[in-house]
Amino acid sequence: MPPRRTLLDDDEDFPMAGALTRAAAAAPDPITLDFGAPPETLFQQLVRHWLNERHAPDILPVQAEVLGALLDHIRRQTDTVQALRGDPDSSEAEHVRIMLVQTEVERVKFVVRSYIRTRLYKIEKFARYVVATPEVQEKLSQTELDHAKRFSQLTENHFRVSVLQALPPHQQGLDDNTPFTPPMASEPDKSHAVIVHAREECPPVRLPDGTTMQMQKGQIVLTPYAVVEQLLAVGNVELI
Amino acid sequence: MTWPNDLISDVSSPVPQTMALPLSLRNSVTPPELELIASEELVEIIPLISMERTAFISGAYGPLRPPTKAKIPLWMAMNLKMKKKCHIVPPDWLSVDFLQERLVQETSHPEFSQFPFRFTEMAKLLLDVASDDIQNSDKIRSLLKDIREARQAKSREGLQKIDHSELSLPNLCSMEINEIRPFFVRAMGVLTQLTRDPARQIGV
Repeated sequence: MPPRRTLLDDDEDFPMAGALTRAAAAAPDPITLDFGAPPETLFQQLVRHWLNERHAPDILPVQAEVLGALLDHIRRQTDTVQALRGDPDSSEAEHVRIMLVQTEVERVKFVVRSYIRTRLYKIEKFARYVVATPEVQEKLSQTELDHAKRFSQLTENHFRVSVLQALPPHQQGLDDNTPFTPPMASEPDKSHAVIVHAREECPPVRLPDGTTMQMQKGQIVLTPYAVVEQLLAVGNVELI
Repeated sequence: MTWPNDLISDVSSPVPQTMALPLSLRNSVTPPELELIASEELVEIIPLISMERTAFISGAYGPLRPPTKAKIPLWMAMNLKMKKKCHIVPPDWLSVDFLQERLVQETSHPEFSQFPFRFTEMAKLLLDVASDDIQNSDKIRSLLKDIREARQAKSREGLQKIDHSELSLPNLCSMEINEIRPFFVRAMGVLTQLTRDPARQIGV
């Protein structure tokens, strides 16, 4: 059926889908070492990373494995639905099942899209900073990195053609480092406050006022991003 | 002369540089997005149709055999409910007795009382879709409103304790956090600027 087909093709364009199809199993992530609670499902992991990405001022490491596995699962569910729909004598109960599976696929797709768009927004916003900072580049997928490079090149060319070439030479730079003014390439503001939820007991972290804070499992705290950056990278905390 | 508000915001709002993420989504998540997340929570239903056990992306659910109760995600329950294919069993906390008791606690104690983290979203979705499965839904609505107001007052008081490094928000729920976020984050940002190393402020 053509409309479903288009939706599927649309997904195959997603940059990070490839290469990781082997992680396809929808089984809970074996890395999760939380013995008390049931392990997170793949979708729950994506939702957590999506919210982290939405709230963090910085670009977080790309979750290529989770994303690849989920996109693969979406594709398999869609294929199953296709096959079932082709069956002319399916019962009403069968229709309900198909409808529910499709609904879920749309829900997952929504989160996948929003996750990718959130990253895209930050990558474009910080494009010139990304290009100049190798440590940040490691957090991006190859497609995202290519995009960042092209995007920053395009904007630089645009600035040059439309304004800079008409200015005196010493005012043409795009990387001037004038004291007491913000840098010319926008950088993430790590002092931006975020609201964190401790997923487990956390090692102590240093607060801006010089004291230390040790978060207990379940604790919710408002604090500058820089304070919890490491905890977030390890997965001790999540942003909410 | 005062400027009309819409004119000011028109002038000061930056031209959106990118279409990747609409302006309204850049600083926070929206209530509908929180509802989407909350509808992953499991609820109990009394199915009116049979369904074999089915593999979903978030796990396998079913089989549904009327009138045996089953646990399925809220989004699935809402979907079936809207097609009149199930009754939803409201969670224990969505009852007059429970909420009444919590309201008393909320108004007699200074700290926030405990609620399921996504209770606001779940209560809203359940009351929207399945109010006929919930006893005394009108009373429940008004209790939820009273609780919300009592808790909002506490949030505002909590703002007094904010500084530039850390503020604990015990027992706050997801929707409440989202509500206070813009103001609290900004407040902390201003305090951070004020306490920054004075040497760096020279010349600003």
